[in-house]
Amino acid sequence: MYAEDYTFFELMAVAGARELKDGEIVAVGIGLPVVASFLAKRTHAPHLTILFELGIVDPEPIHTGVGLADPRVWYRAKVMSSFVDMLGMVLHRGLVDVGFLGGLETDAYGNLNTTLLGDPKGKFTHFVGSGGANDIASSAKRVVIIIRHEARKLKEAVSFVTSPGYLRGNGARQAAGLPGGPVRVITDKAIFGFDPQSKRLRLESIHPRVTLEDVLSSMGFQPLVPDQVPVTEPPTVEQIRLIREEIDPERIYAG
Amino acid sequence: MSKLATLAEAVASIPSGAHVALSGFAITRCNMAFAREVIRQGIRHLTVSQCVGAMDADLLVGAGAVDRMIYGGGSLDRFGRLNNVNRGIESGTLIAEEYSSLSVAFRYLAGALGLPFIPIRSLRGSDVLARLQQIAPENVAMVQDPFTGEEWLVLRPLVPDVAVVQVQVADEEGNAWIYGPRWDNEEQVKASQRVIVITEQLVPTEIIRRDPERTVIPGFKVSHVVHLPFSAHPTSVYRVYDYDAEHIREYAAATRTVEGFQAYLEKYVLGVQDHWEYLERIGGMKHLTPLLADPILGY
Repeated sequence: MYAEDYTFFELMAVAGARELKDGEIVAVGIGLPVVASFLAKRTHAPHLTILFELGIVDPEPIHTGVGLADPRVWYRAKVMSSFVDMLGMVLHRGLVDVGFLGGLETDAYGNLNTTLLGDPKGKFTHFVGSGGANDIASSAKRVVIIIRHEARKLKEAVSFVTSPGYLRGNGARQAAGLPGGPVRVITDKAIFGFDPQSKRLRLESIHPRVTLEDVLSSMGFQPLVPDQVPVTEPPTVEQIRLIREEIDPERIYAG
Repeated sequence: MSKLATLAEAVASIPSGAHVALSGFAITRCNMAFAREVIRQGIRHLTVSQCVGAMDADLLVGAGAVDRMIYGGGSLDRFGRLNNVNRGIESGTLIAEEYSSLSVAFRYLAGALGLPFIPIRSLRGSDVLARLQQIAPENVAMVQDPFTGEEWLVLRPLVPDVAVVQVQVADEEGNAWIYGPRWDNEEQVKASQRVIVITEQLVPTEIIRRDPERTVIPGFKVSHVVHLPFSAHPTSVYRVYDYDAEHIREYAAATRTVEGFQAYLEKYVLGVQDHWEYLERIGGMKHLTPLLADPILGY
């Protein structure tokens, strides 16, 4: 049964969860990807393995943390190890199926910027940088990008490529020696994929109660738009209950 | 052989201009007491490295102790950004060699193994690499795989002069245990010329010998052991104490401006004689006791 009452944040978390298949290995940062991963694990993907870059496998937190450095999110982990163990011997080894990434900006080819805004040669503001994001973008089999739907965040080309998507499209990513690549961009208005040939962003579905005009007018570029664009599958009542009662009861991730 | 030293003695062993690897990750197991003492002793022109930029590095950068930072990006998690580091990068006073977490970890690993270079898939195609080719061209190169003929990015090993590591348990020889995830600490220790261990708890070597599989830092690499409770405050030490959210918020707000940070520095670093006076300044045991970790949760 589909839910009537849900937020766009919850819809994005559910859409993220639906990208994960049972038995896969997922590398996540903090925030919405944590909700998506735990939701998948409690519903259709009980054998999902969840990794945090600093050396954590399958935690079962009971309190919400402020970030990966917070011991609250390590609670009841099965493994506590290191970057070389997680990002090296699992991710770089090619065993991570899905990586969830967000950022300041993404673009028409799924490149992500978490480093700086402004002109790198002139005046600019420095933000967070890569952390494990570049590593995940370079080595995960599939990358799912989750980002707010705003023109300043969805640009034709990001001002700084922290984490490569398809670079400038066509065979550019492959030519750079990189496997995989982004498969989905989930925003609070729509879900996008990538054209198999050009690797340009392509609209896949529009969220309920959102129009095509809403989607396109709040983007900094024109994505590929097929003739027929379906409506995004809404969350189920059970998915919303799990998010609100078990996964994020303090509503910290949900903001 | 006992390597027990005071914090002041251990810090005094570091010359200006040294390359120091720091054990912090964002707001956990940061070398905060160490950083405060480095600032008080006026040590400068440091190169600081760590996989994820943390509060220890931000404090040192803000105080002008650091010329170059080798890191993979970083923040104070939800509390905010590394404002001092970012300001240094934006104004050009700090040379930032910015990688990804795994690239820095691989550079330490290559150093630890004594390899001449290490190939990595990360960074390729990115502006992170483009910037490194400008800022630190001596540390990145492309080579051909002799077996397959494929092109690979390779990184130069990192061999810090000293790794400073905040741990939960150590003996007086420096054999040390780290509880919880170790992020880059083991590779930092093994890549570095020597190690300064700062421990919350000092135990007899007999305790280490009973559980030697827990030993992450072998005593033979260690030059100084400093036994100093709450030395990571206001950051957390898993199974010992939680982060001090109130204090980190104060820090994040103060570091938004140069003036705000100078006032913070005066109050908590330069205006106190040593770590013990710092602990009194923040409110002593009355303030610290609620931060002590729950033995089941670890925080």
